[in-house]
Amino acid sequence: MFVSKKVLPRRRFLKGTGALIGLPLLDAMVPAFTPQAKAQALQNLRFGAVYFPNGAIMQQFTPKTFGADFELTPILQPLAPFRDHLIVVTNLTRSHPGSQVGDHAVSAAGFLTGVWPKRTEAEDVLANTTIDQIVAQKIGQETPLPSLELATEDFTGYVGGCSPGFSCAYMNTISWSSPTTPLPMEINPRAVFERLFGDSGNSGERLARLRRESGLLDSISEDARDLERELGPRDRARLGDYLDNIREIERRIQHSEARGAAEIATPDAPIGTPDSFEEHASLMFDLTAAAFQADVTRVFTFMMSRELSQRTYPQIGVGEQHHSVSHHQNRPEKMAQMVKINTYYIQLYARFLEKLRSAPDGDGSVLDHSLLVYGAGMADSNGHATDPLPVILTGGGVGRGSRHVQLPVRTPIGNLWMNIAGKFGAPVPSFGDSTGKADVVS
Amino acid sequence: MTPFGLWSAQAAGRGVKRNEKVGGFGRARRVRCARVYPKRREAKKLSRIFGLSALFLSAALLVSASAQDSVRAALDQYCVVCHNQRLKTAALELDKADLAQVPQHAELWEKVVLKLRTGTMPPAGARRPDVATYDAVASWIETQIDGAARTHPWAGRPLLHRLNRSEYGNAIRDLLDLEIDSSALLPPDDSAFGFDNISSALGVSPSLQERYLSAASKIAAVAVGDPHSPPSSQTWRIRQDLSQNEHLDGLPLGTVGGVEVRYNFPLDGQYRFQAKLYRTNLNIVRGLETAQQVEFSVDGKRLHLASIGGPEDLASLFEKPTETGDAVDARLNVEVPILAGPHAVAVAFLDNAQFAEPARLQPFLRSSVDNFDWAGHPHLQTVTVTGPFQPTGPGDTPSRRRIFVCHPSSPSAETPCARKIIAELVRRAYRQPAGAADLQRVMKFYEAARTEGGFERGIQAALERVLASPKLVFRPERDPVNVEPGSSYPIRGFEIASRLSFFLWSSIPDDRSLQLAGQGKLSQPDELDREVRRMLADPRSEALVSNFAAQWLELRNLSNVQPNTNDFPDFDDNLRQSFRRETELLFESVLREDRSVLDLLNADYTFVNERLARHYGIPNVYGSGFRLVAIHDEARKGLLGQGSILALTSHAERTSPVLRGKWILENLLGLYVAPPPADVPPLKEQKEGEKPRTMREQMEEHRANPVCASCHKTLDPIGFSLENFDAVGAWRAQDAGEPIDATGVLADGTHVNGVVSLRQALMSRPEVFVTALTEKLLTYALGRGLDYRDMPQVRAIVRGASRGNYRFSALILGVVHSAPFQMRTSSEPRTTASPGRSSAEIRE
Repeated sequence: MFVSKKVLPRRRFLKGTGALIGLPLLDAMVPAFTPQAKAQALQNLRFGAVYFPNGAIMQQFTPKTFGADFELTPILQPLAPFRDHLIVVTNLTRSHPGSQVGDHAVSAAGFLTGVWPKRTEAEDVLANTTIDQIVAQKIGQETPLPSLELATEDFTGYVGGCSPGFSCAYMNTISWSSPTTPLPMEINPRAVFERLFGDSGNSGERLARLRRESGLLDSISEDARDLERELGPRDRARLGDYLDNIREIERRIQHSEARGAAEIATPDAPIGTPDSFEEHASLMFDLTAAAFQADVTRVFTFMMSRELSQRTYPQIGVGEQHHSVSHHQNRPEKMAQMVKINTYYIQLYARFLEKLRSAPDGDGSVLDHSLLVYGAGMADSNGHATDPLPVILTGGGVGRGSRHVQLPVRTPIGNLWMNIAGKFGAPVPSFGDSTGKADVVS
Repeated sequence: MTPFGLWSAQAAGRGVKRNEKVGGFGRARRVRCARVYPKRREAKKLSRIFGLSALFLSAALLVSASAQDSVRAALDQYCVVCHNQRLKTAALELDKADLAQVPQHAELWEKVVLKLRTGTMPPAGARRPDVATYDAVASWIETQIDGAARTHPWAGRPLLHRLNRSEYGNAIRDLLDLEIDSSALLPPDDSAFGFDNISSALGVSPSLQERYLSAASKIAAVAVGDPHSPPSSQTWRIRQDLSQNEHLDGLPLGTVGGVEVRYNFPLDGQYRFQAKLYRTNLNIVRGLETAQQVEFSVDGKRLHLASIGGPEDLASLFEKPTETGDAVDARLNVEVPILAGPHAVAVAFLDNAQFAEPARLQPFLRSSVDNFDWAGHPHLQTVTVTGPFQPTGPGDTPSRRRIFVCHPSSPSAETPCARKIIAELVRRAYRQPAGAADLQRVMKFYEAARTEGGFERGIQAALERVLASPKLVFRPERDPVNVEPGSSYPIRGFEIASRLSFFLWSSIPDDRSLQLAGQGKLSQPDELDREVRRMLADPRSEALVSNFAAQWLELRNLSNVQPNTNDFPDFDDNLRQSFRRETELLFESVLREDRSVLDLLNADYTFVNERLARHYGIPNVYGSGFRLVAIHDEARKGLLGQGSILALTSHAERTSPVLRGKWILENLLGLYVAPPPADVPPLKEQKEGEKPRTMREQMEEHRANPVCASCHKTLDPIGFSLENFDAVGAWRAQDAGEPIDATGVLADGTHVNGVVSLRQALMSRPEVFVTALTEKLLTYALGRGLDYRDMPQVRAIVRGASRGNYRFSALILGVVHSAPFQMRTSSEPRTTASPGRSSAEIRE
């Protein structure tokens, strides 16, 4: 979500002091009125949710043992290097009314929302504000972009139902800024890059561009002051907002300069959308890692593929389509293929974690200061099972890692989101169909 | 409660002239004076109505003292029973109000006028005056207010105006001869009072500011042809509900479906064109059964012809859907050299006579009904242009021709040439002669970049600087020195020029306007008239269609109209676009031919293409192009018979008399309708085995709830008269197996039956409709909400236009000559300014 940073409190502050113009920007006012102590306590904790479609072979996903010494399953093996920052959460379930389990659309729409979405193919979609947006509403104003929503498959032009009875909106995003507002997910890495870093190619050019912009801002402030002299009080106030904004942008520029643009390893500006899935997904992960490191945003969601995805993965020896494989009818050869796909996705995710771990951030790495969810809204997809959902938490934000946490059977996923919302200082009394806060991260 | 029961007059307005058929005259009942608590009052509706004023009143009545006495007598007889110092109903003490001081209490009296003009008061059941008395009292009050307004005109004071997204795009077009997609560069704007050019809603924020900066940099690079422009890509998406089995207007003849886009190629160089076919929800490419050819063309010249489909692709599709899809898409790819500048890129299917639609019991007009069916005609989903690769130069583009008014032949000629180019850009962009300081500031950017990268690089940096300036982005209007607070003064010529161009063109003034402004000629009424007529005749006045009419009539909402595919399987984007185009063309014909605005309600002609003609049952219209046709079916005349209006006031699966009633009240009659309270119970859905109920039956159930009934008693009956049109505006004689009952009652008590009598009722009081339109036009022209102080001006514009049979130009000229357009009220000290804030603003 790309909403503007609120400057109102600062304006009020300026008016309160009677100074409209020429007041130096006080550090304590940035971000506007965030108590300094609290900002420190959060330590720029980032949140992310990565979604994979079509469920998983849960026998090969869920560790057999519990507690600190649990044994990693084949699918989870790529996460071994991050074990200290890892919690596997078992027995979560997605909301579903009675015996209805729903299918793929409901899985995507039910994961971060914690609700069963309204059955409709029309415009009157209804789900729930998602956990990423609850977090973004809390911490998103501290960065240029409150949150980032990414995907790799483009179905945005679709009208009507994408799964019988359920609107395409339910399948095209996992992030909702309100119960009625699905957030579109960006699939074009170029567009993502420009939002994050502007249109310049490499970091040196970017730095040069920032400096140029600084000069431009100085100069257009002079224009604004010309106008100010001629205007009445109400118009002057609006122009005052404008000048405040200019200073706010200057602050961001200085911030970026201070960090040294070279320090942040951004990918080269992509031209368009890569054809290969692996390249595409990796690029999205790289952009996210760079955005986290540059502190352009602290919240992201990424739907690695869409539910019902029919991709094939010849690169790992899976020639059959993802969705068809997922209805494996308990045939061992199909299940083995499904395990390959599940593992492949985790491998890509592990590469992202590695990127975050190698990115220095304050007293540690970006990974140390992240709380990331990896999971799906469907368990074994053969029968569209709603539990136990495959869910993994990673990053320093999980607290004590290296754990396999077994929750009571069929614990609503909203319980976990309550836990995470609290962790980000945005406690909620309930979340979707939650029955009470789960105690997973501390 | 009366049909008007929940409308309270919070702002001056106007309304439906009362008709003698108003119910409740004869029924003598004890009047119950409603006690209105502040909280409830806020929840009430605002209605704004007025009628012709002084015309009905004899001059003798106006001047005689006895006129005031008769008004007093009427008030005492009909109003004071509730509105007195003891009961204070609605905080109105009409026994105390001094009729010798009406203008001093205009806000109150405009409310009274409103009640009278709407017939809202006295309430049904109470004793009411006859129509002549209604008119006489209202007219007398209006005359008092209008007289005072003539000597002390109120102009108002729009807040510092920022260019909205479409104005910015048009400004770039007119400044640089460069078409840009401003919606890709800038975020959407908020709107208020029904329009997105309202200054109070056009706020600023850091992220918006960043977008303006980034837009300035991108536009400058494209306009000048920055040789270092990196390759980038742009993708156009085709709606899935756009049928692609018929020829589309604008695309090459002999093709079906596809898309045409205008794209500004930044440099001479290689560009890659990639199309992708539509796939089902399971990622299966649709329509590979028959061999097809896809044509790529630029400016009508074929670049590439790709073959898709046929037995081989089909067999492979079932084997490996994703790979087959990718392989087919890979054929829809071509890289060719293109010259810089704007070009029309088209990708479409060749019309394949052999192609047979799959056998269906009922073939639909929409060529892709759902996201599951892989059979049928192939569809394009996206077209992407990527480049430039191996650029060879900036080429010869319209924007370069516009910018480079000189070409330095030697290094010493560079600075004078740059100065000339920049002075020209600054003058047009800032919309007044360039000041020395302005030029100096921009020249600095030229000089710095010139040293680094040469002359053209310097011009590019200067242009970026100009485009980023608040002097372009805002429309400042300055207070003269020593002006008395709260007084109205005429604004400067250059400010008039800007108001004119942003009103009529949604853009910056052209050379001619700036010249007239510089010569002081815009303050001469004749010159101003001529200039307005010139501007209306200019193609740029199309902005009045796309920005004014499209918002007034809510046409922009059409893109969100999605009729249920089960109920309306034929509805597609082609029809949706045709709906919109028809209404735009009707409005445009009134604008271009300077017709009476009443033609919008009553025209005996319209514009259709084959698809729309088929929908309306008009014979002998073929092809995708629109043409003028005479209307012989009375039901289809004017806006009320147009699919656009009828569809955008319907729900996905059914009509909505409520939305239709609301649309007519708000947009044709100028009444505001408050949103429904929270937790409204929805209409009951039909249960299994239950007899289907008509819309009227459902609505009547709904009105059994008194909370609902209070508003819907007014809204629904108007909408019911349009029940012969279904949710997509097709004619129907039955609903749920029952014959349509299209009877209804208008707000003023007029009984109507069907769209024809509804239209006749509206036409019988043309000033009501014209006043609604005038309020909208004035709001749009000023970029601010209206309030009671503006009502004398609105009445004057309507009176003036009535003399010329409400010709479009008469309304526009009325607006342009009005005090709020010509003048500005200087700011008052803050403390006194806030109570004077318009009720309209408070409503925000």
